[in-house]
Amino acid sequence: MERTVAQSSTPQGRYTLLPSRYSSEDILFCIDVDTESLVEMKVTGPNGRPITRLDSIKQAILLFINAKLSINPDHRFAFATLTKSASWLRKEFSSEVESAMAALRLLSADSSSGHADLTQLFKIAYHEAKKSRAQNRILRVFLIYCRSSIRPQHQWPVTNQKLFTFDVVYLHDKPGPENCPQKVYDALVDALEHVTEYEGYIFESGQGLSRVLFRHMCILLSHPQQRCLQDLIDIPKSLTKKSPTADSAPGEENPAASSQ
Amino acid sequence: MAIDTVPPLIAAQLNYLLSHSPLPIKVEQMWSGSKNHGLLDRFTLVIPFCLDYIRWDVIYNALYPLAAPDIIFGPEDESFRPYYAAGEEGDLKSPKNSMSDWNCKDPTRLLSLILELRELYMTYQRKRVGEVEDERLKFELSTIVSREGIEMYMSSGIEKTEEVKFALPLLGVDINKMVTGCPWRQKQKIFLQVIFPVGRKYMSTPSAPRLKLVASPELKALFSIEDFRLPSWLDGMCMAEYLPILEGLLQSQIVDAVSSIDVRRKFIVALAPLFGRPVEADPVFCRKAAFLTSSGVFTFLVHFSLPLQFPKQQPGLMLQSSQHFNPSGAPVKSPVITEFPWSPRWESSEMAERFFDYLVEECLNFKKYCNESLLQQR
Repeated sequence: MERTVAQSSTPQGRYTLLPSRYSSEDILFCIDVDTESLVEMKVTGPNGRPITRLDSIKQAILLFINAKLSINPDHRFAFATLTKSASWLRKEFSSEVESAMAALRLLSADSSSGHADLTQLFKIAYHEAKKSRAQNRILRVFLIYCRSSIRPQHQWPVTNQKLFTFDVVYLHDKPGPENCPQKVYDALVDALEHVTEYEGYIFESGQGLSRVLFRHMCILLSHPQQRCLQDLIDIPKSLTKKSPTADSAPGEENPAASSQ
Repeated sequence: MAIDTVPPLIAAQLNYLLSHSPLPIKVEQMWSGSKNHGLLDRFTLVIPFCLDYIRWDVIYNALYPLAAPDIIFGPEDESFRPYYAAGEEGDLKSPKNSMSDWNCKDPTRLLSLILELRELYMTYQRKRVGEVEDERLKFELSTIVSREGIEMYMSSGIEKTEEVKFALPLLGVDINKMVTGCPWRQKQKIFLQVIFPVGRKYMSTPSAPRLKLVASPELKALFSIEDFRLPSWLDGMCMAEYLPILEGLLQSQIVDAVSSIDVRRKFIVALAPLFGRPVEADPVFCRKAAFLTSSGVFTFLVHFSLPLQFPKQQPGLMLQSSQHFNPSGAPVKSPVITEFPWSPRWESSEMAERFFDYLVEECLNFKKYCNESLLQQR
């Protein structure tokens, strides 16, 4: 599989930071607004009000954007929605948080869509990626998908021209006789491997916990040009006190790298 | 009836100028030459010159689209008359220039005209400076006139004292090539601006000129012009003596700045075994790195920012929650933390370990800070 490998690991997977291409990102969020986005999360909001998946998704996107801009204020964001197919919500890429907030306010759930076709999304991304590259930027498509029984399809051709990175967050119901989230997940993985330029990441959760979603969003902050393979992700690292060894005296260095 | 649009031929020429100009020329204002049509056919261009700006008004006429525009120069430059050869009345051999050979349909014309006029303006200013009756200035001019890329400017006026301003490009070395993986699309340049008062009277010790360093803006990722202390201009010095001293100092500081990139790089790499792979780090100048860590179920980001004087100057540290949000939905951030154990003499691995130990404790305070800020919102 022709995949552009990030330049920041030794063969043993140890982290290095060699001088390399470091492009600002254009990130296109594509949010699934099928009725399943209105499924309630496990935790309730203040005053016991229920929180839907879409509410959590909006909050998670704001978290992501704010964090990304704290790291590098040059990253930009645009928005699309997914019903039967993808369509623009806010087309212009912008690095203004206010602009993202305004776009997210427009986000609302649609009726049940039946099927999900990603072809248009990939077409849009391909076209936008060419514009990004002309400005020395890289394009990333960030799909947030909510349907537990509908496998997304696409008719994107096999091509060596992979111009954008593809990340997925999948929120679903617990597996049962009436649904097939595992099959949906596998279809998302296939689509990811089919189109992504740099290593793409996919995270799923059926727990309905916002903080799990937020945690995944933070891992997805990873810059595509600096990623390791998903199997080797070692973050977040836990900040726990290293237990003192039996023989250590004050001032003696503990050679252990970290404890988890 | 104001239409408020720019006629297409004019727009094409102006857009071409703005996107293709080798210098950062800007449009300051646009207006219409006539109340009747309201089309915007006049504008002011702000053009970099001698590390400052000159303003020229470009006057098209929307009713006569085939004609070349008029250019109105600044009030100090009444004697600047490009394209007026001496004895031009009835002179059949007036030189062909961008104005006489105007093609309104060619979008490149305005830019060529402006660049040509700017060259002529440079020659005009050189002549004015050369004519100044100041022996010291004449001498200074003679020592630098062979340097490439100099611009000079003579400012005068009833209220101002006469001054001559020089903009001198420094350092023949290509800084871009010194930085591995350099992302700068244009060559970074450093200039010295020197302003001499014009003194027609003889003075036993001529006063020192005003000096200022100016650099292209992207250079600040590597080197701070503001923090660079200009060597003193000693009594009786001249530019021919001062410039080599300045350039020597600048060169060695830039070489130091380039090697300090790897000092910062080493520190970021030393953090990875303890803090995990950073979610993003600057691989060329190594000024920033962000890590994702957790303490129990509390997940948060640790942002390091490394100053140019690292490790003499300590890093900036900031924490950002993934689970606590302020009323506008932004994740709660700590203020920039400065009170942590620090010594520039530690090895990078020890610096990393000390930060780890510090943050094991400090993240509990941060969690408390986040929870308190949520309570304050209720």
